[in-house]
Amino acid sequence: MPTIAIDAMGGDHAPGEIVRGVARASLKTDIECLLVGDERRIQEILETVPYNPEHISIVDCRDAIGMDEDPHEAVKNRRDASLLVAARAVAEGRADAMISAGNTAACVLTCARYFRLLKGIRRAALAGVYPRHTEYTGQDPLALLLDVGATIRCESEELVQFALMGSAYARRISKVPSPRVALLNMGVEGTKGGETLVAAYRRLRRMPALNFVGNVEGNDVARGRADVIVCEGLLGSVVLKLVEGIADVFTDVASAAARRRLSWRIGLALLARGIERLRRLTDYTQYGGAPILGFENVFIKCHGRSNARAVANAVKVAAKAVRDRVPAEIAEAVAALR
Amino acid sequence: MSPLRIHRAQRPALAPVICRWDLDKTYLRSDFDSLRQLLRTAFERAEDKVDVPGVAALIKAIKKAAERHGRAALVYFISASPPQIGKAIREKLALDGIPYDGIVFKDQLAQLKRGKLRNLREHVGFKLVELLRGRLDAPADARELLFGDDWESDSLIYSLYADVLAGRLAVDRLVPILRRIGVDARLVDQVVALAARVAGPDAVDRIFINLERRTPPATFRLFGPRVVPTFNYFQTAVVLGADGHLDVEDVAAVGRTLVERSGYTARGLENSLGDLVRRAAVSLNIAERMGAELRAAGVLSAEARARSRWRRMRDAFRRLRRRRKARRTPAGPPTRAAVDYAAILDRLRPPGRESPIEGRPA
Repeated sequence: MPTIAIDAMGGDHAPGEIVRGVARASLKTDIECLLVGDERRIQEILETVPYNPEHISIVDCRDAIGMDEDPHEAVKNRRDASLLVAARAVAEGRADAMISAGNTAACVLTCARYFRLLKGIRRAALAGVYPRHTEYTGQDPLALLLDVGATIRCESEELVQFALMGSAYARRISKVPSPRVALLNMGVEGTKGGETLVAAYRRLRRMPALNFVGNVEGNDVARGRADVIVCEGLLGSVVLKLVEGIADVFTDVASAAARRRLSWRIGLALLARGIERLRRLTDYTQYGGAPILGFENVFIKCHGRSNARAVANAVKVAAKAVRDRVPAEIAEAVAALR
Repeated sequence: MSPLRIHRAQRPALAPVICRWDLDKTYLRSDFDSLRQLLRTAFERAEDKVDVPGVAALIKAIKKAAERHGRAALVYFISASPPQIGKAIREKLALDGIPYDGIVFKDQLAQLKRGKLRNLREHVGFKLVELLRGRLDAPADARELLFGDDWESDSLIYSLYADVLAGRLAVDRLVPILRRIGVDARLVDQVVALAARVAGPDAVDRIFINLERRTPPATFRLFGPRVVPTFNYFQTAVVLGADGHLDVEDVAAVGRTLVERSGYTARGLENSLGDLVRRAAVSLNIAERMGAELRAAGVLSAEARARSRWRRMRDAFRRLRRRRKARRTPAGPPTRAAVDYAAILDRLRPPGRESPIEGRPA
């Protein structure tokens, strides 16, 4: 069973929800969990919930990087922060993968500091998992968008590598035999979007090993046309936050409407089952976290607001990525490209 | 000198040790969550009954260690199951090679005849009476180890028993507690009569609760350090080792059985040991010494040994400093403070509710 290092102190609800999530995972799986953080606080939380001690060990460290801290300074100077200690455990072979719900930029920088990039990979990518409309029965309700923040601007070569990484991840984790890959652009024509995107489009079209379906526009992101959407980090981050923001606004508007009029409340009650299905579809806790791809080691970045369920699922996703040899799959895909 | 020997030297050399075991969920992996499972359990043959991993090895280890130390170890079982399943249970114990000195079942048929249907599920009175009766027959200087689980009220029953034996629970305090639990009036009278006859020295060393339901350990804090919730019988063996009832070789035997027969891993046992230290059930010193010997015996993984000496020293120092700051209950022989039963019952059954507590985790 793989060992997953968990940054117990990272995230808005750390360490409580992180520890509770690990406790939940320890009861339902045989995954070895290495909790990294303040041992006393972790143990205090652990003792109040059901857990299986056979699958949990703790590495004591009291320092933690805050969500609002300067990531560059923190990663450079805080060697004993839980995030860095957990990453070292992976780099030294004491764990096979790690998860964190902490400061995203610090997570990416920590990976860059302790993990080696896969051979041939120029830059790592942070992949965002998001819910989308499905076009046929059995289609995975979750799609992958990368990069969503590990980079700002990219070259065409890097976008091509992101496509390969995303495709390999979807093949292994979502079990899609031939994931449909698309390039996020301002038009579906291959000549749009400027020099970099046009070059990336041409190169991707010439790759038979990749199921490239062409360019997609913003309105296609939430549709089921592509399983993997590739873009630069700046654009990807904006898109992902926009999707989250719309979901939040929808919830707020519905709540406000329910408060204002009885008839609207009744209407919402009648729609309750549909709303619940929608809520479940957009519930980020079910997929746990998003991977940082391109390194030799697996890193799953959880949402900052992750609750116990999200953390437990992230632990499972990390273990699955290790078992299914996702980094090796990516390395093979990139090697074939060369 | 081993810390185990220090503990042993503090006690009378030849005082026998009595181990009282609950059967279902403590010794046997009985399933009776539904009526169907209950019926299946009742008609199960001995060879179909499954024991909790490591329990048979632990009982044998206790017997062996006692023999080695020149003291007698007596094993008794007490079960709220009806005597009709006694034959299958005795056969199962024989199959497992468990030497035992007595077994008591609850005569459920007699309760039915008396029309006391409530007593079918209320076990506190029955078990307390049987424990006290058992004590009357035991050597006066015998030490006791009690083993139960988190399905019923074993932690409460055993704590009441221990405090009655030690004379910490006078009749005027005991009776209201039993009434509040809903113990049958006849059994309350019997408990009171027996309590007057057994009160003497503090005889119960430890109460082990097998966390079969994975009840959070914090639930048992109100019972004090005498009650030790354990997630597996390796943890139980480690605490017994720290208390001087087992030697490291016996703890190793239990661990080895779990690895070889029940799919446990060396790493899982190592983690279990770490959990005990963090819960202050054993001290860091004892755990480290025992861990080193268990690693040498191949029971724990050698992985931890590979960590640098400097890192181990640093971690140990940090843990000690943290523990001192936290002012948690120190590991070692439990203190003899009286248990706050009112608080325990308040948590099990909020004031105003008169439903029996049986069937809820204690």
